[in-house]
Amino acid sequence: MMRWLSLLLIPFLMAFDTPLEDAKAEARAKALMEEIRCVACENEPISQSGADIAGDMRLRVREMIADGATDREVRDWFAGRYGEFVLFRPSTKGVSGQVLWGLPFGLLLIGAFGLWLVHRRGKAESEIVAVSPDAFDADHDKETEA
Amino acid sequence: MIEIGHFAAFLAFAASLFQSWYGLRGHRNMAASGAYAALLLMALAFSFLVVAFIQSDFSVKLVGDHSHTLKPLFYKIAGTWGNHEGSMALWCLVTIGFAVGGALRLKTGRAVFEAKAIGVQGVIATGSLAYLLFASNPFLRLNPAPLQGSGLNPVLQDPALAIHPPMLYLGYVGFSFVFALAAAGLLQGRVDRNWARAVRPFVLAAWVPLTLGIALGSYWAYYELGWGGWWFWDPVENASLMPWLIGTALLHSIIVTEKRGGFAAWTVLLAVLAFCFSILGAFLVRSGILTSVHAFAIDPLRGSLLLGGLLAYGGAALALFAWRAPALKGGPDWQMISREGALMLNNLVFAVATATVLLGTMFPLLAEMTGRQMSVGVPYFNATFVPIMAGLLVALPLVQAWSWGRAIPKYIWKRSVIIGAVAGVLILFALGFGGLPLGAALGVALGVWLLYGAGSELLRRAITPSRIFKLPARVWGMSLAHAGIGLFVIGAVVETSARYEQTLALTAGQSANLAGWEITLEGVETSEGPNWYSDRGILIASKGASKAILRPETRYYPAAQMPTTETAIHKTAFGDLYAALGDRRSVDGVTRWTFRVYFNPLIDLIFLGTLLMALGGCFAIFGKKVRIAEEASHLPEGQLPEEDVPEDKPIITAGAPASVVEVEE
Repeated sequence: MMRWLSLLLIPFLMAFDTPLEDAKAEARAKALMEEIRCVACENEPISQSGADIAGDMRLRVREMIADGATDREVRDWFAGRYGEFVLFRPSTKGVSGQVLWGLPFGLLLIGAFGLWLVHRRGKAESEIVAVSPDAFDADHDKETEA
Repeated sequence: MIEIGHFAAFLAFAASLFQSWYGLRGHRNMAASGAYAALLLMALAFSFLVVAFIQSDFSVKLVGDHSHTLKPLFYKIAGTWGNHEGSMALWCLVTIGFAVGGALRLKTGRAVFEAKAIGVQGVIATGSLAYLLFASNPFLRLNPAPLQGSGLNPVLQDPALAIHPPMLYLGYVGFSFVFALAAAGLLQGRVDRNWARAVRPFVLAAWVPLTLGIALGSYWAYYELGWGGWWFWDPVENASLMPWLIGTALLHSIIVTEKRGGFAAWTVLLAVLAFCFSILGAFLVRSGILTSVHAFAIDPLRGSLLLGGLLAYGGAALALFAWRAPALKGGPDWQMISREGALMLNNLVFAVATATVLLGTMFPLLAEMTGRQMSVGVPYFNATFVPIMAGLLVALPLVQAWSWGRAIPKYIWKRSVIIGAVAGVLILFALGFGGLPLGAALGVALGVWLLYGAGSELLRRAITPSRIFKLPARVWGMSLAHAGIGLFVIGAVVETSARYEQTLALTAGQSANLAGWEITLEGVETSEGPNWYSDRGILIASKGASKAILRPETRYYPAAQMPTTETAIHKTAFGDLYAALGDRRSVDGVTRWTFRVYFNPLIDLIFLGTLLMALGGCFAIFGKKVRIAEEASHLPEGQLPEEDVPEDKPIITAGAPASVVEVEE
């Protein structure tokens, strides 16, 4: 809801966005703006916010990029200034970072391995009959309730 | 006369108790009559609520809080469920509706099983009604009655958003009935092919509206929020995505149970989980734990009650599962490289994807409990969820032809080589086309590949193209849904990677260029609606011979003291030209208006693809079961008839296009 209110309340102050001259640098700046959270809004990146603070934050991103900062330096600067809350891309550092980033792929591997282990207790290949998908309907229809 | 409604809701509560009691004791007819009575009573109660909204009876507290005389009739009616209490009343109504649907449609020949399913649904309805009547009662009066209502949240005054919640509820509550069917199956100790055959239409009956509900919400976000985006990985969106993912896994796993009798325990577990995730979604959204537009009940008591309900129902079901599941029988044996194996892969990926969304959604909440403030947003899900799902989609066209039991190696390789070549050409083509970055080119190739896979599967099943329209509806349903995923992937990838956006500041008469369009501001006018007034920009956009007028608005609702953006969208064959009106700035006496103008390429494919998935689901629900010629079952499996058979084609029995027995030479 703050999104619309902020549009109404602070319309005249917003710093106007001047894109960087270098198209590659501008693309990097835009990508970073997608990842940095507006501190005055609700769940919005600064690229989408009409709040004036978001305008200032966008300006800061462009300034840093123009000064030759790397993406990581920009993120670190914002995290240092506003707290890690401001980064939509959570840190990979620490146990919690590793759990957060690693768990999806870990689960996939563990799940696949576990299912394979359980499945190995199957029958020999020759005893398994191949049945194409629709063939089963026939005898299924004849099946009667016991 | 809201008191009659209130009284009817109490009677519905009693009828649900009756239904639960007789249902769980195995009396199908008694349970069904309880459900019919409950539905009649709850429908009566709900219509009194709707009438109060239509008549703007502000002596009813709910109407006073959420309606307004100036609101158009349609939104007065939609306002009934546009708030917490009213939406819970709708929830109860739908819950009972599914019990009645079950009582009418279930024809398994297992009366006790059906009675128990209706009974379990009765228990859920009783719980929901108790919550409605004792924790969030919509039927209360307000004395003195206000002269005017406080209005509906104007953001919700929108056709898509009026239908979005009922659709989601149909989905969530639909899974509650699937849960009831699973619990009844467990109580009886019979989760077999006939069980799956009876349950599958209900899974689809929940999955289709949930799909549509999510798509509507996404479309609403696209045209209403004014940022050109359609999915933000917002916790509220995730809350509805999780039951959808689990429901999709269930939709695939129950096929194995129906066709082979396998995966029985896993299918039941998914049925339980789909419902748990539905309640979890309701809890996350309704408790206000995630602060957002949707959280209109910032009330810890309600949150804890919902959480308590989740733990009670979910816990009971999981305990039942742990007790009964080990006794469930499996199907015939199978190899990893088989249809069962492919569907297991599907289920593994969907389960992991759900866990990923859950992790990303809950992690900031858990971190906050330890005093740490953090965010998990788009970059995280793009780096985890997207590649995991993409891996599954890459495999889909390859594995969907695999036979039950074991796939026939010769066909696998032949198919893989053809498809690999097709995919390679597609990737090269996509790379050269439109200068897309590598990831996007791969994405487009994946989408086209999925479309090819859906088409080739139809052809493979039909054997000759002329028979393609004689295929069973569920085969069509499957292929439509898979083609829908293909369209969705193309749209999502192109839209995300090639979206063009620019903020323009224009004085009247001034022009600017954007993505080949020349955009001229004609002026900004004011206009007025029933309960709002607005600033409306008039932009003339022209590109070559084509010309369009865009009228983006900012609306102000005095009753709610809140502005909304109304975007203007001009559709072209290749995407949407999209404009949102920003603010007015006066610098040195010159007044400029800012506009955010976007070109969103192929965005319609995202929504079209989702619609196609839902349509596929409908085909699979309503398709008549094709009776198959007797000969088919007399042909011994694995035995080759005498005549010459093209080596890549399965063998067919004359006159029975649907019955195909694949044989190894």
